Amino acid sequence: MKVSFFETARYRAPQALPPEWPVPSGAYDRDAGVQAYRDMIERLQYVEELGFDWVSVSEHHYSPRILTPSPIVSASYIAARLQKITIALLGPIVPHSNPVRVAEELAMLDTLAQGRLVVGLLRGTTNEAMTYDLNPQEARQRTDEGMELILKAWTEPQPFGWQGRHFQYRTVSIWPRPLQQPHPPTYALGTSRESCEFAARHHLGCGVSYGSFESVGKATRYYREQCARYGWQPAPEQIIYRANMLLAETDEEAQALLHAQPGGAPFAMRAGVRDAIMALDSRNIAGEARTLNVGGALPTTFVGSPDTVVEQVRCCRNVVGAGVLDLSLHPPGSGDLGPLMRALELFGTKVLPRIRDI
Amino acid sequence: MADAEDRSAPGTPGAAFREGYVEADGFRIRYMEAGQGVPLVHLHGAGGLRLTPGHDLLSRHFRVVAFEMPGFGQSPENSRTRSMPELASTMAQAVKNLGLDTFNLMGTSFGGKTALWLALQAPERVLALVLEAPAAIRQDGAESPSGSPEEIARRLYAHPERLGAIPLPDPATRAKTQPLVQLLRGPNRDADLESRLSGLGPPTLVLFGTLDTVIAPAMGRVYKELIPNCHLVFVYDAAHAISTDRPEAFAEVAVDFLERHEAFVISRTETVIHP
Repeated sequence: MKVSFFETARYRAPQALPPEWPVPSGAYDRDAGVQAYRDMIERLQYVEELGFDWVSVSEHHYSPRILTPSPIVSASYIAARLQKITIALLGPIVPHSNPVRVAEELAMLDTLAQGRLVVGLLRGTTNEAMTYDLNPQEARQRTDEGMELILKAWTEPQPFGWQGRHFQYRTVSIWPRPLQQPHPPTYALGTSRESCEFAARHHLGCGVSYGSFESVGKATRYYREQCARYGWQPAPEQIIYRANMLLAETDEEAQALLHAQPGGAPFAMRAGVRDAIMALDSRNIAGEARTLNVGGALPTTFVGSPDTVVEQVRCCRNVVGAGVLDLSLHPPGSGDLGPLMRALELFGTKVLPRIRDI
Repeated sequence: MADAEDRSAPGTPGAAFREGYVEADGFRIRYMEAGQGVPLVHLHGAGGLRLTPGHDLLSRHFRVVAFEMPGFGQSPENSRTRSMPELASTMAQAVKNLGLDTFNLMGTSFGGKTALWLALQAPERVLALVLEAPAAIRQDGAESPSGSPEEIARRLYAHPERLGAIPLPDPATRAKTQPLVQLLRGPNRDADLESRLSGLGPPTLVLFGTLDTVIAPAMGRVYKELIPNCHLVFVYDAAHAISTDRPEAFAEVAVDFLERHEAFVISRTETVIHP
């Protein structure tokens, strides 16, 4: 099992914040921002020291919960400050990006980081559609087309035009090209049938997140079936499972941490917006309609002492088939850094060495 | 433009096209024609002449003349033409006999190779060249679609729902033309043709659908490497029959290229939302 640390640039607000998304940017504290990124590097140096394989970053907007609106900037900064760890950029929100720009930036970063780049491409969480005025009903199609264009831009040696449905270019010919050939290890992130089929057709990995082993296991099983249909078999490390973990010395302590978690999601959307956007969403797990998690807290999959968590990881490997765990130790958005650092240490010393062979 | 729209019944591609015949090299050659302006001559693929919504869209900008080459479709079996350059020369003659001196030229798949030979033989007459999924350069192991009409359709179309009133290929006609196609299509890599492409004069646009399983879209780069003024465009989510799968996308780029040649790389898309 490979292990990735999901870095969210923990922002510690000096005073209470308005509860609604988008969070007014006037509530942002500049010193707290500087501190969050400074702490991030310090934390990641420790993560690297502990032997984590990857550090992952994501794209989220208009909120302090995950303070990385531009994952390419965070990934580049981290890559420059750390020596060995692989940078997993999971990932640019494709439907509201310029896919050619994404291809260029990722190729540049792969080269700067000397091949330490892993890429996840995705549609993005429901609320992100509102960030740059993306019509949610077009999000799926724009994602598929954008991903295909990114792959083409990375691999086509001659200048080409792209006559798409949502994107049109007359000339594409990127420099630099990725260092890793034909391109960095790439994952289509998501549990949907569309995402799994895309990954299978293009021989990409698959990344799932937060659901129970059984529910995301349906998606990874469907992905493997689709790969077989296209005549190949994914390696374990072509399946990433992102999840929350609450780790403590004892099960009791971990359970206590779990019960202390807030029930709702921080920075929820206004109800009228949430209901309207949910009505437009087509999220699914391998074709079965998925209950949307908008406004609720993300589930915590791994909870317990090191012994318990090792068994849970074993179960995850069997049911989900994941070869990479992408972990939030302590929920993303929690600015409670003391417990996070203790959980990291505990994970690095008592869990990591025991899950390598799983 | 309005005139052509009025005459096209919805769902019937080519409804505005008129049938005509022209003699060349002793063949009586059928063609379909619509539109006004600069002539655009079209040479079809191995399945014969099939008018698509792409033809309709092109006929709003050009005088489209879509030929049925000797031996294809309704024409009698052709056992005289022995090579692709010979077929190209016959077609050049047919165009001349229609009174067309200079013209734009479009070739689809098999007809892409005919069009390349024609442009090599008569460079001063061809203003610009559009090759739709050309079959002149094919990957190792390339296999033409075969089997039942449905099986063939699965290889040609990513979006069969867009076929509308276009009939599936007729097996009997196909059987009649297969020997001719086999004879004329040549090897997957035709050294004689490829060695001449560095001298190809007209600006050339090569189009491949990203889902083409007949000719690998990666062959597009070979045209770019060999032809001096060549542009390659991928049509997303189209298979081999681009002008049926995504006629609007196909026609937009073809028209833009035929009108502006290499300057078509300069965008004219307006993005002002409100003045």
